[in-house]
Amino acid sequence: MSDLDRAIAQLRACRLIPESQVRELCYKARELLIEEGNVVCVDAPVTICGDIHGQFHDLMELFRVGGDVPDTNYLFMGDFVDRGFYSLESFLLLLCLKVRYPDRITLIRGNHESRQITTVYGFYDECIRKYGSANVWRYCCEVFDYLALGALVLGASSELEPSGPSMNDNTQTTMPLDDAELETEILNSKGEVTGSTYRPRQRTLSDSSTDTRNISPPRDISATPGQTPLRTGAPGTGASGSGGGSYSSRTGSVLCVHGGLSPLIDTVDKIRLIDRKQEVPHEGAMCDLLWSDPDEIDGWGLSPRGAGFLFGGDIVKQFNYRNDLSLIARAHQLVMEGYKEMFDGGIVTVWSAPNYCYRCGNVASILELGEDTSNGGTVTRSNGDYGRSNGIISTDKPGVRSPGRRYRVFEAAAQDTRGMPAKKPVADYFL
Amino acid sequence: MSASQIPNLNTLRRGGGRGRLRGRGGITGGYPGEGQGPRGTASRDRVVQGTDNDASVSRLSAVSLGYLEDPFAKTLTPPGLETRRLPIINRGTYVRTTAIDRLVARFLSHAPHERKQIISLGAGTDTRAFRIFSSQSSPNLIYHEIDFAVNTTAKIKFIRSTPLLQRALGIGRPEDVTVSDAGDALHSAVYHLHPLDLRCLKGASTSDTADPQPLLREVDRTLPTLLISECCLIYLSPSEATDVVSYFTRTLFPDAQVAGVSGRTGTTGSGVPLGLILYEPIRPDDAFGRTMVSNLAARGIQLQTLHQYASLKAQRERLLGHGFSGGQAAADVDFLWERWVTEEEKERVAGLEMLDEMEEWRLLAQHYCIAWGWRAGGGFDGWNELEGQSGD
Repeated sequence: MSDLDRAIAQLRACRLIPESQVRELCYKARELLIEEGNVVCVDAPVTICGDIHGQFHDLMELFRVGGDVPDTNYLFMGDFVDRGFYSLESFLLLLCLKVRYPDRITLIRGNHESRQITTVYGFYDECIRKYGSANVWRYCCEVFDYLALGALVLGASSELEPSGPSMNDNTQTTMPLDDAELETEILNSKGEVTGSTYRPRQRTLSDSSTDTRNISPPRDISATPGQTPLRTGAPGTGASGSGGGSYSSRTGSVLCVHGGLSPLIDTVDKIRLIDRKQEVPHEGAMCDLLWSDPDEIDGWGLSPRGAGFLFGGDIVKQFNYRNDLSLIARAHQLVMEGYKEMFDGGIVTVWSAPNYCYRCGNVASILELGEDTSNGGTVTRSNGDYGRSNGIISTDKPGVRSPGRRYRVFEAAAQDTRGMPAKKPVADYFL
Repeated sequence: MSASQIPNLNTLRRGGGRGRLRGRGGITGGYPGEGQGPRGTASRDRVVQGTDNDASVSRLSAVSLGYLEDPFAKTLTPPGLETRRLPIINRGTYVRTTAIDRLVARFLSHAPHERKQIISLGAGTDTRAFRIFSSQSSPNLIYHEIDFAVNTTAKIKFIRSTPLLQRALGIGRPEDVTVSDAGDALHSAVYHLHPLDLRCLKGASTSDTADPQPLLREVDRTLPTLLISECCLIYLSPSEATDVVSYFTRTLFPDAQVAGVSGRTGTTGSGVPLGLILYEPIRPDDAFGRTMVSNLAARGIQLQTLHQYASLKAQRERLLGHGFSGGQAAADVDFLWERWVTEEEKERVAGLEMLDEMEEWRLLAQHYCIAWGWRAGGGFDGWNELEGQSGD
């Protein structure tokens, strides 16, 4: 068993590793992360997770619900630390897993992965208390500076694989698979389907697609292998030359970012131009990506958080259209139901910290995006202009389909499964 | 929520320790056996008495960070408890304090030369009396605070050892003030501390002939009077809480035409002008509320009237039922932040600390309310213009 595997086992038991090992781990992680672009490309299938906030036992519950690393490919959208009691254990475990299985887990930066915020919201204090000095906090902050700012999920399927208990249960094949239209599925922590929704895509097709080149079919006649390639290259991959050429899946890509959009960023490529290796600034594109929130407004608005912006459905639609995205997945906001789709499903908030701060009483969720295997697992190509019509932005471009989404909803880990001495969380109230 | 709470089991009884102000020891005071004794009334009482530490620590945190101006906060917080609270708690403390201040100021500024009276229930280490008496427009006011003897004793010790507090009350000379032999009661010209279990204040309404007052000497039954319960009555049982308010509305300050008829309304009170401010948690039945109830129960804290007065509407009806027919209004802390705080002030407060947790703030703030009601017939006209929140 390697040192790294030993560290993983130890951290899984919620026991910290020695400071010298943390230093080594952070050094290795930085070497790894420095090679990643600001926007990491991730192939589906992938399980997307939102805020963790040091709720270690709930992170373990998340792995139980979503499958273990490396069996499941994970993408965590930041805010690993602060607020909860076990920021160190949670972040160091994720970091160990990243170093051990770099292709099976992606970590991007949240607004709490910052020196300033962690001194206010608990991570700094936790480091001092558990290690007796600020060294470990400094090592971690240096890693924070190298975390990617976003990720792009490519090759997600518009259809869902049969659902069932997440881990290697092949017995459940009886779910009705007449689901060419099935798009969203909600599962509770036992893997039972508690809800599913259809979103037929034809509604705007007939009137909006005067352009005859828009030959893409509505989704309910999809899934025929060999169908005409539909969309253009994945955003940025062509122009930026970051490898892979101009490739596209049958669905649009999914942009994952902790907060949201920025008025300074109109293409995914512009994210790639940011010099990210620094403390999160108070303003500017990098700050906005980590701090902004979608809101029911038109255009841009001031954020009550004092950093980032609010952005409306029109902004999301334009951005998704321009970048061939079918979905923006983000975290950052507590959602009592664990996830929340907005703007006709153009953006979703995924929240993965159940009973946040041991006080909020919310459930959590993770989002599973399946792999598109309808083209034999290969990606399709096309030129860059296909399907762009008349310079008019249609609000629902039929060419880009949404990926099938499976939300696994879960609750906080039961107190008695924590196997911990009775260090009961104490939530503050106004008394 | 602070990670620094983990190893310090002492925080189990008084909430969080965190931030730059941490590291002063953090272990003082408290009550022997707190939280460990039998779940009897006495043990529960100690837990409730301990909640005052939460409030004073929160107040000092908000003051230290510039949310509130209060030179007395430090002198009335037990040493060693100084702790930086989370931004949402600081903001909540700010909204609660300034909103009640505003209601109090409106009461005091009505007919400013007329003598008035404030009676604060379960006042603990509250600083409001000192802040009012030391303000430039030192009002013509008598201020009473009622609390368990253990809390009044502690407060009297603070006052005795702190010239700043004595100056605020104008009790610089020994002859200005009387302290009981037990050291738990204090009486001066304008300020009174009554060591009293509020649950004693009952039954008097059925024996109107008896002298109802020996429990609260120096309370002037002829003055326009404001009652304040900041997170106090909610710890009593529903019937006890009703009895306490009735003791004031029907026994000490009877509204002539209403007396004896429970819940009657619509009379033009000919009694003394009387108003009541309540500050309490509400909405226990949603996911946040259920978690709050169970978290507090784990600390031995029971909010006994929470389900009885679970909504803004229930709070307004409660006030009406107690004969506050001049008006009843209520608003949650989220509403008060949005509507009572000016944009300029919001900007100032928002600039003090990065408040990242907007959703959590709204959740928390929507589960606390201020309710205020007053008798018809003058004295509280200033409250008419203050905006309450409609609906539940």
